[in-house]
Amino acid sequence: MKNRLRALDAPLLLPVLLLVLMGTLTLYSAGRGTSQANLWLKQSLWYSLGFVAMVYIATQSPRRIFRLSLLFYGLGILGLVAVFVIGKKIGGAQRWIAVAGQTFQPSELMKWMALLFVSHRLGLHPPEQLGGFELVKTSALVLFPMLLVLKQPDLGMAISFLPILVLIPLLKGMRTKWVALGLVLTCAGGFVAWNKLLKPYQKQRVLTLLDPNADLQGTGYQINQSRIAIGAGGFFGQGFTAGSQTQLNFLPVKTTDFVFSVWAEERGFIGVLLALGLFGLLLTRILEIARSARTIAETNFCVGAACILGLHLLVNVGMVVGVLPNKGMVLPFFSAGGSSTLSYFMGLGVVMAVAYRAKLK
Amino acid sequence: MLDGRTRTLIQKRIEALKFFVWIGIVGLLVAYGWVQLVKRREMQELALRQAVKNRTTPASRGIIFDRSGQKLVDNRRALHLVIQAEELPGDSRQVQDLARMIQRDPDDLKRRIALSRQVGGNHLVVLQENLDDAGLAQAELLRARFPFLSVQVAPRRSYLGEDLAGHALGYVGEVDEKLLEKEPARYHLGEIVGKGGFEASRNNDIRGVDGQRRILVDHLGREMALYGVKDPVPGRSVYLTLDAGLQQVLKEAFGPENGAGVVIDLRDGGILALYSSPSYDPNIFLNRLSQEMVQRYLRNPVNPMLNRVTQGLYAPGSTFKLLTALAAMEKGILKPETVFYCGGHKMFYNRDYRCDGAHGSVNLIQAIAHSCDIYFYELGMRLDVDDINAAAKKYGILEKTGVDLPHEAVSRVPSRAWAKIFRPKEPKWYAGETISVVIGQAQNALTPIALARFYGMFATRGKLITPHLLYGFRNEQSGQMDLFQSPAPRETGLDPKIWSVLDEGLAQVVEIGTAKASKIPGLAMAGKTGTSQVTTFVDKAHYAKLEKKFKDNALFAGYAPRENPQIVFAVVAENAGFGASSAAPIAKKLCEYWFVNRLKNPLPPPGGKLPDAFKLEARKEEGEGVAP
Repeated sequence: MKNRLRALDAPLLLPVLLLVLMGTLTLYSAGRGTSQANLWLKQSLWYSLGFVAMVYIATQSPRRIFRLSLLFYGLGILGLVAVFVIGKKIGGAQRWIAVAGQTFQPSELMKWMALLFVSHRLGLHPPEQLGGFELVKTSALVLFPMLLVLKQPDLGMAISFLPILVLIPLLKGMRTKWVALGLVLTCAGGFVAWNKLLKPYQKQRVLTLLDPNADLQGTGYQINQSRIAIGAGGFFGQGFTAGSQTQLNFLPVKTTDFVFSVWAEERGFIGVLLALGLFGLLLTRILEIARSARTIAETNFCVGAACILGLHLLVNVGMVVGVLPNKGMVLPFFSAGGSSTLSYFMGLGVVMAVAYRAKLK
Repeated sequence: MLDGRTRTLIQKRIEALKFFVWIGIVGLLVAYGWVQLVKRREMQELALRQAVKNRTTPASRGIIFDRSGQKLVDNRRALHLVIQAEELPGDSRQVQDLARMIQRDPDDLKRRIALSRQVGGNHLVVLQENLDDAGLAQAELLRARFPFLSVQVAPRRSYLGEDLAGHALGYVGEVDEKLLEKEPARYHLGEIVGKGGFEASRNNDIRGVDGQRRILVDHLGREMALYGVKDPVPGRSVYLTLDAGLQQVLKEAFGPENGAGVVIDLRDGGILALYSSPSYDPNIFLNRLSQEMVQRYLRNPVNPMLNRVTQGLYAPGSTFKLLTALAAMEKGILKPETVFYCGGHKMFYNRDYRCDGAHGSVNLIQAIAHSCDIYFYELGMRLDVDDINAAAKKYGILEKTGVDLPHEAVSRVPSRAWAKIFRPKEPKWYAGETISVVIGQAQNALTPIALARFYGMFATRGKLITPHLLYGFRNEQSGQMDLFQSPAPRETGLDPKIWSVLDEGLAQVVEIGTAKASKIPGLAMAGKTGTSQVTTFVDKAHYAKLEKKFKDNALFAGYAPRENPQIVFAVVAENAGFGASSAAPIAKKLCEYWFVNRLKNPLPPPGGKLPDAFKLEARKEEGEGVAP
């Protein structure tokens, strides 16, 4: 066990542990006096499980992990398909499968499986030998599960697959024609999405962002209440378990999507500064590991992991303060949820395995 | 595995990513800084405003008793289903579901919610009023599904006599938006105020002072903490001068017929009975949500909402002859012993005028007793319309009586000036018209209460009293009544000699005259019958064929007992024919009760169903535990 713990990367572990501590406290405060009073305990259990999984993975050889990546990818796709067959419908979306009394969301894990497999494939050859056809095939590996997730429907989750594609410019650089093609594809995709794919409630969310006061009781209600909570926190915050917006339930979905508003209300700008600083250190450390990685596949994975975490951070934290549309994207280490917690720690485990190998060299 | 160049490139790109990470974090910090540092006050204000509420605790209005302490209006505790959250969470689908479950129009409900949100503050949207047991059970089911609902306890008026004294008591309802705009400091939205009758005229005395609770609420409007409380001060209990028994007699005397009657205590002007038929049941107006019955009242062509006693304008018929006699004697053209000959009919201004009979040679007293029209036509030949108008002004007919009821109408007696202003097509007054005025037809229009006050002037030998309903306020410390100081009567300076003649004439009316059928053994009553035309007709055969609503109005005004008058009364029976046969008997019933039966066997309190009503009430209070 001592050996295993040596595999942990301290500069990566420290911000994670601090964020997890902050997240647990926030969940305790948010759940107080509601039916979710014990949620923080349950979430602590998930953190522990995740920690164990992270330690285990960190001691594995990255090479072995990548060799098995096709298998993992296949299992992930099976999981997504299973959602359609035996999945549980909650609130109009079929995203969960029930295992032993727990609901599990395969799409959370699928993100990391896709990243793993794509990193591996793109690492098989030196970057300059990667042809356009290979890139298209790789993109398809990302887009296929993404479409499955979009079908559930789960727009936020589908979008969180996109950071994996950052690996292409990472390896091939930003060429004008790529950027142009990307822009054209984004516009076309956006057009199709707005007219064909997006559900009315999703469109409403985008419109709400443009004018939060237009519909105070509908979608705007949530963001409006969240902004009030954040603003009421002021510089020093209202104090632990003393945020009026949180404790009086004006703040909606405060244990998942809007958990950061609880933190911001009770801990103020100081708390926000601390949390975002830790996130920054965490991401920087992951990118640092990416730099020192021995193989391209390892680099790929670390960069992809940083981008996935970074996107979640940006979208969730930006959404609750009202600068980005409400996408239903959770905040790592804060939002309650078993599948996502486990997935993040497993992803971090791989990153640590990479760091450990690099150190051993 | 990698050549140095590619590795350097990738590392450069990773460095760029790091840069973007910090750019993103700084961007987020700017956004949070804006909301948390710059907009802090505004956001804290918003948080406070939605969490801290001042909720009104409605005060109960004063209980109303009759003069002997019988309860006429009580308060009960009513339960209402309300939306207590001002900010309804979630989308409007919840409102849609709610509307469907309580069978309300969703758009109407949304509009009401929007209105109350616009006004803000402490006005809760009432969904269902006055819940009974079944309604309460359903409300609890609804509350389980829609936690933003609550059951609120509020005082509610209960008019025990139902339509016994609708016009006198009036009714209550939510304050009008117009009044709210005019006096925003005085009223608040949703406040219950008096809207008619005594409830309106004395609203400020009996309304009490609403209490307030300063509370912390959660997103569903549920009370989480109490910061401060100001208890409501109930309104003052009040005694009316009405006598419930006499009121009952008056009401029953009218039965289904339309009309108006009022009995006034001559000592202080206190109104002993005031009834306008058809009456209304003020309980109907308590339902803010179901307006069906209210609309039925408002659309009724007979107009039950009109208080015929204070707002009904009737041609007074022969009851007016006393004023004619007054005017003639004061002008000096009439002496008590002046005799005219009545042959049953006579030509005046080239038209044949009839009398009810051929009275022969009659003096003034006889003319009053038998209501001889020819005698007064003769006076009309010698009087100018302005003489009559001046007398009407002098003896108080042309002014408001000052009764403490809202919207009293002013009586009218024509004059030349009146013709000029109000009859622009026919501004000239013709002497021939005066002939009709002297016997109380034509343009004369008196309210029954003004008529009663005028006859009260004869009973008091020249004093004009101010009729009023307020007897006094209950002093909560002593349990006694603080008596209302009635306004001093106005002296008219009636010549005692003239008075004694007219008094004698009025006594003769009942003794041997037109109203002798209504004589009560042992009680000397003085009064005058009247019959006023509603429409013109050719002869008796034509009249018999007329529709009921075109038949004559019957009147009787008088006082009793003659030697020591205590009460004055005026009765109008609409479309009932002769005053002697329809209105005088009502006056007889009033006097019989007031002077004889009341002392022996007073009528039971209003609302005979009272015990049952209380039982129902007790059951409801047991279920109170479920209310928050």
